Amino acid sequence: MSARAAEFAVIVATLYGAFGGAVALAFLIFGVERLDPAARGAFAFRAAIAPGAALLWPLVLWRWSRAGADGRAGR
Amino acid sequence: MSERYVPVSWNRSKILYDMTLAACVLLYLGAFHALGDRPRADGASIDPQILAMKAYGSCAFLMMSTALAIGPLARLDRRFLPLLYNRRHLGVATFAVAALHAWEVVGWYFAYSPTQPLVALLSSEPAPGAARDLPFVPFGVAALAILAVLAATSHDFWLRFLRPPVWKALHMALYPAYLSVVAHIAFGHFQNDATTVFGALAATVTAGVCALHLAAAWRERETPALAHRGWLAVGPPDAIPEGCGIVVRPADGEAIAVFRNEGKLSALTNLCAHQNGPLGEGKILDGCVTCPWHGFQFRLVDGCAPPPFTERLATYNLRLADGVVYVDPKPNPPGTPVAPLDPAGSRR
Repeated sequence: MSARAAEFAVIVATLYGAFGGAVALAFLIFGVERLDPAARGAFAFRAAIAPGAALLWPLVLWRWSRAGADGRAGR
Repeated sequence: MSERYVPVSWNRSKILYDMTLAACVLLYLGAFHALGDRPRADGASIDPQILAMKAYGSCAFLMMSTALAIGPLARLDRRFLPLLYNRRHLGVATFAVAALHAWEVVGWYFAYSPTQPLVALLSSEPAPGAARDLPFVPFGVAALAILAVLAATSHDFWLRFLRPPVWKALHMALYPAYLSVVAHIAFGHFQNDATTVFGALAATVTAGVCALHLAAAWRERETPALAHRGWLAVGPPDAIPEGCGIVVRPADGEAIAVFRNEGKLSALTNLCAHQNGPLGEGKILDGCVTCPWHGFQFRLVDGCAPPPFTERLATYNLRLADGVVYVDPKPNPPGTPVAPLDPAGSRR
């Protein structure tokens, strides 16, 4: 890999990870209980799923937004 | 299950498993350092950082090989089933050791690079085909990335979030990760002829893992299910050991596990509702089959998890004809009660 391509890959990975970290934090505070009832009142496990939420943030955002839309439609 | 999540659902078996795993890893790393620290015949010695990266790298490879060997070993011999239990912790530990290997590599080779260490690592080799040497770094990076995804999604939450079939398919990526590691070792070995012993060891271990998978696949092929008026022959009732199950595989559809409990027979899908674990390899306790992977339980009479859990499995109908047990390959809706078949009572 050329140095320029490597630099680009590292920048993309850093941005992806930084945004993923922010999404994960918000999801673990506000979203996880909406998606999974077994998460209600459970806090310690959230640290264990934080890396996964940061890695899979596009999917997490999509599922979270769908859960929000379903919740509003159901009211 | 439907209970509140916890970071790790510990129990006595899991604690014992993890303690054994930690002891094995520490023993290996200690022995590697003790043996590798000795000066060679020419008086030269290996730098401590290089020794550490080799120790972590070879340890991660052996842990991956073990994780992949456990499945076929348990299918070939039920005595290996306890190793299958809690295999996820082995996977997460493997990632941790592999990450330590990568940490040592970056720290040793690229810490004082004028460019950013990760950029230097990724650009340290020419593109494939651009030079005589084979590139081996990308294979290591790819394997570590896959292991990271598998470790990060190992919690039960992700199983539910992704759904069991997707989660299981994702975690089958351990196989491409293993191939990447084998390529990483092999191509690295070709460029560094100082580690002939490790090259031979890696080749032997890889061949062993492949052989175990082939042997398990061959054994399953030896017992095809026989069709009889659309029902599948399971075999004589005595072929099913008390307190255990055997698995029949329809030509299409899910594998079916047939169990014997207190002399009576029941059939459930072979796939656990938790992670699609092999229920047919589980043991029966208090009228429930216990999944060998994570201990999830399901009643034999209706496929339901005992309260307060809510998971349900498909049940199947059984019948006895001419001394042979048959199973209807069409599953009942999950949670449908089916009266257990009593072979003694059914004989005429």
